[in-house]
Amino acid sequence: MRVLSGDARTALFAPLDDGWGRSEAVARRLGGAIALGLIEDGEQLPPEQELATSLNVSTLTLREALADLRSKGLVETRRGRTGGSFVRVSESALAGLSRARLAQVGVSDLRELGDLHATIAGSAARLAAERASPTEIGRLRDLARRLASVRNESELRRVDGRFLIELAASAQSVRLTMLEIELQGEMAQLAWLRPRHRPEELSALRLAVAEAVARRRATRARRLVEDEVAATTRLLIDDHIALTLTPVDRGEADG
Amino acid sequence: MAEARTTALDLVVGEVIESVFDTVEDILREALHRHRRHGAAGGLTEDDVRAMVPGLHARLREPGQLAVGMGLILEPGLLPSQPLCLEWWQQAAGSEEPVRLEVDLHPDSLDFYDYAATDWFAIPRRTHRRHVVGPYVDVHGTDRYLLTLTMPIEADGVFLGVAGADVPLTRFESVVLGCLGSAVEAVLTNGEGRVVLSTSSRWITGSLVSRDERRRSRSLPNLPWAIYEPVGSSPD
Repeated sequence: MRVLSGDARTALFAPLDDGWGRSEAVARRLGGAIALGLIEDGEQLPPEQELATSLNVSTLTLREALADLRSKGLVETRRGRTGGSFVRVSESALAGLSRARLAQVGVSDLRELGDLHATIAGSAARLAAERASPTEIGRLRDLARRLASVRNESELRRVDGRFLIELAASAQSVRLTMLEIELQGEMAQLAWLRPRHRPEELSALRLAVAEAVARRRATRARRLVEDEVAATTRLLIDDHIALTLTPVDRGEADG
Repeated sequence: MAEARTTALDLVVGEVIESVFDTVEDILREALHRHRRHGAAGGLTEDDVRAMVPGLHARLREPGQLAVGMGLILEPGLLPSQPLCLEWWQQAAGSEEPVRLEVDLHPDSLDFYDYAATDWFAIPRRTHRRHVVGPYVDVHGTDRYLLTLTMPIEADGVFLGVAGADVPLTRFESVVLGCLGSAVEAVLTNGEGRVVLSTSSRWITGSLVSRDERRRSRSLPNLPWAIYEPVGSSPD
């Protein structure tokens, strides 16, 4: 069990505001952090007051969000001296949350998310090709190879997420790294209704990126990354449309 | 390499880096002292490591402390009760109390932090010498742009682990540039040819210098760094 630490993790708790209910947004964001593996099973959440402050919501809103997560089985609250709110990783509850989110957003929201991600990850790739050290290139190659031997879809996503974070770090940019982590947090809130890549395919694609970085071919590195984001965004939009054509019960989809 | 000379940048960089290594050496000495208290064979325990935490906090809070993170990392398997041991504390942004770095130390886990393979651990272990890693974006800790300074902790030829400190590059740079006064065009690079700091926007921190510039740089003693001075250097 561990208490939250690190700016990467606080990025996930940055103030949020969109048209939807705030408590729902809080619940979704925490759900995304759980899905990304940034918060682990059994981990204790910070005290209510602290968490509410960092999310910039009232304690009342936070309590509603926690109650929502509790009812979905994602958070467990214990009383007493060793009490507090603890994370329970439940794949089916996460799937329910992320399906509801994918149905809720609009096509242009997904397109915007894809545009921004292509910009961030593409720039990271270009700069990494100029600045990555041999050690960093080695790490990129390792992660790309690991993609070929993942055991399941969620592991594939996490290793690929790590690849893109490592790419931004190789660009020597703290800001691109933070933005990449934040975007992954946002994308983790959306359902993947089907596998987007075969592991060996994605592995070959990321190896090609690592090679372009190693050979200092900035334009190629950028294009490879941007093209993958664009392709993934199209699949996400198709999934969204499919979900919207067949309405799901938002409250308890597969919950 | 160009001929050995000493300039203001050499002196200032040396002085600032030594002040951080002094702190690291304090941690190292305390670890060795505790190790030796267990008789001739020595032997650090989990309690020893825990007992060092208040000292780490005090050092982190010292006024003018450049380091924002410090601690000790033990050789895998040294503590039977805790095969992987990383006791690292950081002064987190927006928090008064130092925060313990928590990383995943389960070897089977997807996010396993294999510290024994990192340069700041493996290089001092192999070379028996101190080392500086960076600048690099620390994705495992605080997402800062850092230099990590480490020294091997060795007792009678046995490697126990490393003591170390993290210095944000910006702090290091402000102090060095502040002490430098006049600005002769000069670039400080690390062992990978990456700019650590420079006195000109022609070389920007984090970028790589050309092979030719690397060739014309002169190495600094006792540091994995080199200095390139465009005006003063000549191809040899």
